[in-house]
Amino acid sequence: MLDSLFDDVKRMNKRQFIYQVLSFGMIVSSALMIWKGLMVVTGSESPIVVVLSGSMEPAFHRGDLLFLTNYPDEPVRVGEIVVFKVEGRDIPIVHRVLKLHEKNNGTVKFLTKGDNNSVDDRGLYAQGQLWLTKKDVVGRTRGFLPYVGMVTIYMNEYPKFKFAVLACLAIYVLVHRE
Amino acid sequence: MVNETPEVVKINKWDGAAAKNAIDDAIREVFTGELKCKESFALIDGRLFLCALAVGVALYALLWDYLYPFPQSKLVLIICVSSYFILMSILTLYTTFKEKGIFVVAKEKTGNNSRVWEASSYVKKHDDKYSLVLVMRDANGKTREATVNKSFANYIDNNGTVVQSIIINEITKLYNSLSSEKKEK
Repeated sequence: MLDSLFDDVKRMNKRQFIYQVLSFGMIVSSALMIWKGLMVVTGSESPIVVVLSGSMEPAFHRGDLLFLTNYPDEPVRVGEIVVFKVEGRDIPIVHRVLKLHEKNNGTVKFLTKGDNNSVDDRGLYAQGQLWLTKKDVVGRTRGFLPYVGMVTIYMNEYPKFKFAVLACLAIYVLVHRE
Repeated sequence: MVNETPEVVKINKWDGAAAKNAIDDAIREVFTGELKCKESFALIDGRLFLCALAVGVALYALLWDYLYPFPQSKLVLIICVSSYFILMSILTLYTTFKEKGIFVVAKEKTGNNSRVWEASSYVKKHDDKYSLVLVMRDANGKTREATVNKSFANYIDNNGTVVQSIIINEITKLYNSLSSEKKEK
């Protein structure tokens, strides 16, 4: 069974084998380039994020897919939902802007809070940090798709499952000719 | 990857793509073996070059974005992303209009005569008809073409092995008819 699985590969000549590897590479790089293209278009380093917590209910639920933009000339305003990074945390946070101070020279500092949380986010920020600034922002929420992101949440909760699925797909693409 | 001894190729005969590939390989062997032609790799090398270039561009973008995180890398990303999609469209054009399913280009030298043979094949989805197009191009730039439209069953036996002798017969017949046609004129 395993023998016949690799039959296709064994029968390939050098060029067919190189093409097989390259076409696998092209599948991966197409996905990568679409992602990088979205980054350039939206100006956000992560144009699509998945909501991981219930802290923004009822606006967003766990598993919602958010589309972000981060254009430098669009000011952050109170009431907007922003995605921001905090030093020392790997995962960005999606919360609403509560207070905002803007200086004449355009610099802003703002405070955020989750709609479903009873206190503001100062406890979540890095030690001693009281305000967020523009450089912390990953993007502003522009649209969402409900629950689509559940798949990624499950994938991340069961990493072995994720790697198994990816490995199966990779092997399938590599051993089958077109 | 290269087989030195001609082993028996056994495939799942109900898998159209596998059957097509197996017959293609068998026909290639006839050209490089029985007909003593030299295979020319220019066409497939062109495609491999395009693919490698595209993957290279993507890897470069990945590396650059890793070294200089996003807002800094914007210009390089714009260049890489647009050139990647341009390369992809060139590749599509290349395979549909230049390669056109040609799986072997064989060069033949007989005395001071040189000819180029191009074999391409296609199979419609869920169809058992294997269409082989053989094009001969001689030194004067004349081209002659022959098409054979036959079911897989003509080339593959019950067990799913390609019958090399039938392929040899078929190709030699085409080869001779295309060659002799030339002499008549």
